Parts: sequence; C-alpha cells; structure tokens
Amino acid sequence: MKKNLCFLLLISCTAASFADYQKVKEQTLPSSDKLTEYRLENGLQVLLIPRHQAKVVTYQTWFRVGSLHEKLDPKLKKTGLAHLFEHMMFRGTPDHPDGQFDALSARMGADKQNATTYFYRTNYFQSVPIRKLEDIMELESDRMKNLNLVAPILEKEKGAVVGERRRHDDNPMSIAWDNLLELVFEKSPYRYTVLGSENEIKGFTVEEAQYFYKTFYAPNNCTLIVIGDFENEKLMGLIEKFYGKMKSQVIPAVTIPGESEQKKERRREVAHSQATSELLLMAYPIPKVADADVVPLNLLSAHLSTGNEARLHKTLVDKGIAVSASADLSSSPDLFELSASLTEKHRAEDALRVIDKEIESAKSTKISPTQFQRALNQELLSLYTHISDNQSLGSLLGEYLTVDGNYLRGFEIIEEYKKISAADLQRVAKKYLKKEKRSVVIIRPAKKEKKS
Amino acid sequence: MKKFICLALVCFSFIQAEEVLFEQDPTLLVSHFSIVIKTGSQDDSRDKVGLANLMSELVLRGTKTKSRTQFQTELEKIGATLAVHTSQDLVIFGGKVIKENTLEFLKLFQEALISPALSKTEFLNLKREISAEVSHLKNSNNRLGGIAARREVFAGSSLETTVVGRLKTLSNVTLEDVKTAYQTRFHRANIIFAVATSLPEATLKPELNKIWLGFPEGKASVRKEVQPQVPEAPKLVIIHKAKTSTGAMVIAQAGITAQDPYRYELTAANFAFGSEPLVSRLFRIIRGELGWTYAIGTTYNATGALSYQPGMFIISATPSVEFSAKTLFKSMSLWDEYLEKGLEKDELILAQDSLVNSYPFEFDSPEKRLAQKLNSLINDVPTLSPEDYEKTIRKISNSSIKKALNERHKKTSMIIALVADKDIVEKQLAEEQKDIPEAKRLKIAKVITPEQVIE
Repeated sequence: MKKNLCFLLLISCTAASFADYQKVKEQTLPSSDKLTEYRLENGLQVLLIPRHQAKVVTYQTWFRVGSLHEKLDPKLKKTGLAHLFEHMMFRGTPDHPDGQFDALSARMGADKQNATTYFYRTNYFQSVPIRKLEDIMELESDRMKNLNLVAPILEKEKGAVVGERRRHDDNPMSIAWDNLLELVFEKSPYRYTVLGSENEIKGFTVEEAQYFYKTFYAPNNCTLIVIGDFENEKLMGLIEKFYGKMKSQVIPAVTIPGESEQKKERRREVAHSQATSELLLMAYPIPKVADADVVPLNLLSAHLSTGNEARLHKTLVDKGIAVSASADLSSSPDLFELSASLTEKHRAEDALRVIDKEIESAKSTKISPTQFQRALNQELLSLYTHISDNQSLGSLLGEYLTVDGNYLRGFEIIEEYKKISAADLQRVAKKYLKKEKRSVVIIRPAKKEKKS
Repeated sequence: MKKFICLALVCFSFIQAEEVLFEQDPTLLVSHFSIVIKTGSQDDSRDKVGLANLMSELVLRGTKTKSRTQFQTELEKIGATLAVHTSQDLVIFGGKVIKENTLEFLKLFQEALISPALSKTEFLNLKREISAEVSHLKNSNNRLGGIAARREVFAGSSLETTVVGRLKTLSNVTLEDVKTAYQTRFHRANIIFAVATSLPEATLKPELNKIWLGFPEGKASVRKEVQPQVPEAPKLVIIHKAKTSTGAMVIAQAGITAQDPYRYELTAANFAFGSEPLVSRLFRIIRGELGWTYAIGTTYNATGALSYQPGMFIISATPSVEFSAKTLFKSMSLWDEYLEKGLEKDELILAQDSLVNSYPFEFDSPEKRLAQKLNSLINDVPTLSPEDYEKTIRKISNSSIKKALNERHKKTSMIIALVADKDIVEKQLAEEQKDIPEAKRLKIAKVITPEQVIE
C-alpha cells in the first residue's frame, strides 16, 4: 500500500499526502505488453499499459452506468438521460466554461476524442501526445467533479440529442434493432433504446441531471485505462493528484428483471419509410459472457460470419440474396444475433430460409477441421489486429470490464478456443439456437407494404 | 525530392529504389502488405466507370489452379485476409496475416495477382453484387448528396461517377474489358510494394521478388487530370425524398491537389472553419448555437485522398428537415464571411496548436508510418519531420490564409445538393428569401430522384 509513496512525493507533493493506491494485479498480454491494475483509496480503478513505440498516450474513462441503470433507478425510471448526460460532459465547468473542453483538447492535439453510451456503461476517450498527458488529466478529472449543470445548456444540448434520435429513426437498421430488443425483452430495460424517446429527452430536468451525476459519476464507479509512452509509478502519482480527493459514493445496486420463459418464436414486421429493401434481424438468448459456452458460441459466429468463406457470406451474399449478412454475439443483452440486408429483388423470408438451413446444418453436422481452423485463425487475426492499436486495446479491456468485471475475458476466450473442438460448436448450436426461443424482426419498405 | 525518398526508405536492392517500402517493428503480431497499382477509375472510359474496381475485385476471386472457394479457404485458414480498394487513381491490394504464416500468405498473394482466373461465373456474380451495393446507396442520404454533387462538378468525365460505377456503366462492362484492363494496367512500371512486419526484410525478399518478376514490364501510365467544372452562380439540385426527418446538404466546390502549394494554409483554415468536429466555426454555430443539424463539416477529400487529380471540396450537413433551408443559407453566409475575412486570431492559434500537437498520430503505428511513406512516394510530396511540420504550420498567418482562399475558392461558385422533400424545401426557400428580390433568389435548378442518382 505504501510502496510508492516516497517516489510519489518527489513528483507530486500535494497529491500523495491526501490519497493512496494499491497495486492489485499484474499481467502480461499476448502482445507482450504489461498490464497493471491499481486501485485508489476512493475506489477508482486504474489499468495501465506502458507502450513506448510512439510518444503518444490513450486516455479512457469508463463509468459503469448506462441506460439500464437510469431506467431501474427509482428516482429516474426513464431512458435517455445517461446519453444526454454524456453530451453534457462536454459542456463545461466553472474552470473551463462551455466550449473550452473541446477547444482545449483540440489544441492539445487530441486524436479520436469521443464518448459513447450503452446499456451498461458510458465511456470517454481520446489520445494525446505524451507531453499533453497532464493537461488532459486535468480536463478529464475536472469534468468528473465540477460539471456545470445549468438549464440553458441542458436545453441546447437536448436539441442536438433530439437530432441524433431522429437520425436514428430514419435508419431502418436502427429501428430493426429497437424492435428486436422490444420483442426479446418483455420486462427488462433492454427493451428501451439507449437514446430514449423524444419526449423523454425533452423532459429531463437539471435536478435529474444533478442527481445522476452525483450518484453515478463517482470514482468507485469508474475505471481509467491508460495506454502509451509513460512509466506506471509516475503516472499513478498524477492520477492521485487529479482524482485522489474525489469522494466515493453509494452506487445503487440494480437488479435486471428476469424474463418469463419463451415458448414460441416471436416475430414482428415493420414498414419503414426510408427502407429501400428488406432487412432481417433475429436473436437467440445466450448465457452471460463469463459462461464457458460463450467460447464455442463465439467461434460458431465466426464460422457463420467472419471472412468471405463464412457460411452466411457464401449462401446469402454470394448467391445474390443479401448485400450483407452477419452473425454476432452481444453481451448485456446476451444474444446471438443474425442479420441480413436483402437485395432489392429478395424478401426477408428468403434469407430466413437460408439461415435456418445453416443453423440446422450446424446442429446436425460437425464442421470440418479446415472450417474450424479457418474460424479460429480469423478470430486470432482479428484480436491481434485489434490489440496493436492503443485505442482498440483500451476498448477491448473496457467493454469486458464493464459488462463482466473481468477485463481479461477477451484474452481468455481466445485461450479457451484452443481447448474446444468442432463438437462443442455443434453442441452449443443445438443448445441455444432453438426456433421457439428466437425473436425475428423484418423491416419492409413502406411502399411495398401498401401494395401487398 | 528523390534524395528525400532514398533517405526515408529501406529499399530492396532487387527492385528499383522507389518500388518497395518497408517498415519493420518487432512488436507486430500481424504482417501487413500493400501492393499498389497506379491505375483507377480515372482510366475507365466514361460509359464503363466501375471497370477498374470490378477488375481488381475479380483478381481476388480464384486463380488458374484454385477456385474462388479453394483460394479463399486456404487464405482464411492461415489467419489472413486479402482485400482491394480502388480509388480514382490507385488500386491498392491490402493483405494482413498472423505473423507466423507470413511466407505462406505471400505465396497465395503472388498466385492471386499473377495468375487470376478472371472467370465468367465470378465476373457475373461480382457484377450482380456490386450493382446491388450501388442500389443500396439510396439508403444513405449523405452518399446520395455527395454523388449528386460529384455528377455536376465532374460532368462529362469518368470522374462524374464514383469509383464503383452506376448501374448503367456497370452493365456496360464486359469480361473482355476486364481481361484487357488487367493485361494493360498491371505491370512493373505501375507497381509499388509496401510492407510492415516484425520479420527481417531478408526473409521476405525472395517472395516479394517472385511477385515482382511475375508482372510484365510496361510503361508508366500517363497521368490524366480533369479540371472540376463549377458554375459561377450557385446551382441547387434537390434529391427528392419524402418523409425523411433528417436530410443531407452538400455544398461542393473545386478542391485541390496533394501538391497544391497552398495545402498547409488550406488545411489550417479548413480545420478551423469546418473540418474539426466540435470546435470548427460551422459546428459551433450551426449545431452548437442553433441546433439545426446533428452533423456538419467540411473536407477537401470528398472524392478520396488528395492526389495529382484536383478533388472536390464540400460542406456537408445532416439538418433536421425543418431546418434544411436555414442550414443551407447560414452555411452559405458563413462561407462568404470566411472567404472574406479568413480566421479569427483564436481560431488560427487553435488550428496551429492542434495540427502540430496531433502530428505524432500520423506516425504512431507501423501501418501509419508506411502509409506516410506511400503517400510521399505516390504524390511526390515530402513527409515533414515534426520540427519542419511545426515550422511550416506556425508561419501561417491570416493574410496567407486569405490569399490561399482567394486563389482557390469563389464565393458563389458552387453546386448544392439537398436530399429532402422537395415540397418542404420549396416552401422553406420562399420563406427564407421573402425579402430578397425575385431575380436574386436561389432557385431549384432540378429535382431528381434517388434512383436517378445511381442509375
């Protein structure tokens, strides 16, 4: 606990005397990078990966709050504030009034600066030249504790978010996704879009925003992920300086309501005015990401969807039925999803027949050793490509951390691939890809709908 | 110029100095390869635009000894991908592979490029797939607006059509065209290799050499340049889409080349005016203060990366439908003010600081370092050291910016493409211009459908 205090006093006299931190864990990643986890006394979790190939640093701030939490919070019970709040985080503090965050970070040369909100988390990220690290830390920590939540700015930002919501509504695939989640989940807040409805967005008050900020943007609900050209001990001194005085908060526990057992397929058809061809989107419930079955399910999705030799590409795109087709796993919500964007001459039912045939084949026959090797190596290529980039590596760690608590889960899955066989893919296909458990959404162009 | 290239590159002795760029990094888990052919849609005839793209895609669909499935399965089984990107003047085959299988991958890469099957079945399938993708562009308002603007700016040349072609130009392309294009455009004088890997160059030399020797000798292509044509007065084209709640606005002008002597001034100016999200003048005013649009920005890369061919400059936005005309007129008035006065002092300082400080991100990975070298070689422009880049950017003044803007842009010379409901736009135009004499009002020059944009 006290191990680094003397050193810290040298670099940060004010910080080290107020706070402390402990080293929790050290790991070596497949890329040979060293990952070290620290925790400050106030609960702030820190993941550091020094990389010295370039004089840059990626700085990511992850909060374990998203649209699930606001919907389940007895004082809010609405969706959309988590996302609106993400926008507000760029709108100033007393020290850095509205507009300055963007201007200052731009002047620092911030690269790929952005923020996103999802069901279970909100993240803020950017990369800066290493000589600007302390400057970005000052800005990031300032907005985490001193945000200016005032009505005129909130009202202005609502306008931008309503615009975002309308763009979402104009996008047939976004609407397909909204409908699918509404169909799959009858009780849990996954059925509500992260963006919130236009009425919800317009109705949020400053008081609600302040409550949300104080409750969820606390150090013990946050993880910093920093990757780049630094030394851990020196950086921990700076983190103590900027974050050490923040007070931890009581984070309300959320319990996501369970769903009643689904006994038959659910299907919905939607006409969309902006769709020019049909879309098919479907999902099967699967276990949480920590479950061992997620490993073969992941590889099954790669078999179906990754690369030009993937089954869905061969049978849908190459045959001219779809422009694109994919299979993927999502976590929180835990689903095995399949989608196809149809060519103008084909109906969603054509794609559904092909997908059903592929799924039946995955259940009845073990995939060949060549196909298995293909899927496995494509997954490896994807991971290795991903982790060579600082921002992507940070995102990989952050997503698994916030969805599961285990930031190394992405790497574990790759390791566990080596222990499974084609029979495991067949087993999970039989176990999870059952027709009576699935939900299907079809989007049709509005005009075609009228004719029929 | 040549001196700089030789200093910057590690060159293989078996091939001419300019033709192999190499970036070794021991931390790389994946080897990256690019083989660049100096040809593109600009070399397609106007009625067959899409040929270069179709040809390069077809090259990856099977070889003389392996069907498409056999080839692709072998490739994907070793943890590799191979894809191609075609632009107006380049075809770039890009491949990557987990490092353990690098040599195996190069053998496959060689086979694809040197002995493609160019089969009729795959040709017909590919044509159908690309046509379906072109039809799908109707779903994207931004793409529709951009394509419609391009049609006007480069009218009469092969550049009026995007690289993938339109439905009609695609239907004109025959398999014979593809075979002829492959034979005449793929040769040693047109090819550059670029490699980023953890492996030593000596290990890769023999395999790269085989690829090189597999191509015939040839003469370097003659560079073609098409001058953008933009009318003196604004021309408004509506792409009619009913019931859309957000539209797309594209204001287009002639762009610049990669070698433009004003490129640094225009980069700094454009950063502050529109290209940098969140802090640019357009974003701060039209989204931040007025809230009329979710996205708004500007770019000189509207037709792809800068090259010898002058590109297209655009201001683009996605206004909520009720603010379509307001966004248009406000953008135009801010454009006028920008051309007249250039940047405010704070804006220039912000742009300079940001460009200088973000310059390390142009080199923060082996792939990016390789891309810089490639750009330098292809476009004959120097890659500046951080110190030289800072000096170049810091010496920019508002007067040099105004001079650059004055040399390269005109206030009213523009094509405007608006994706929106035409009836709503008509009413908005009348309302917004009610105090302007009839003769001076901006009028709709033509209304087209999304289908007409892509057909």
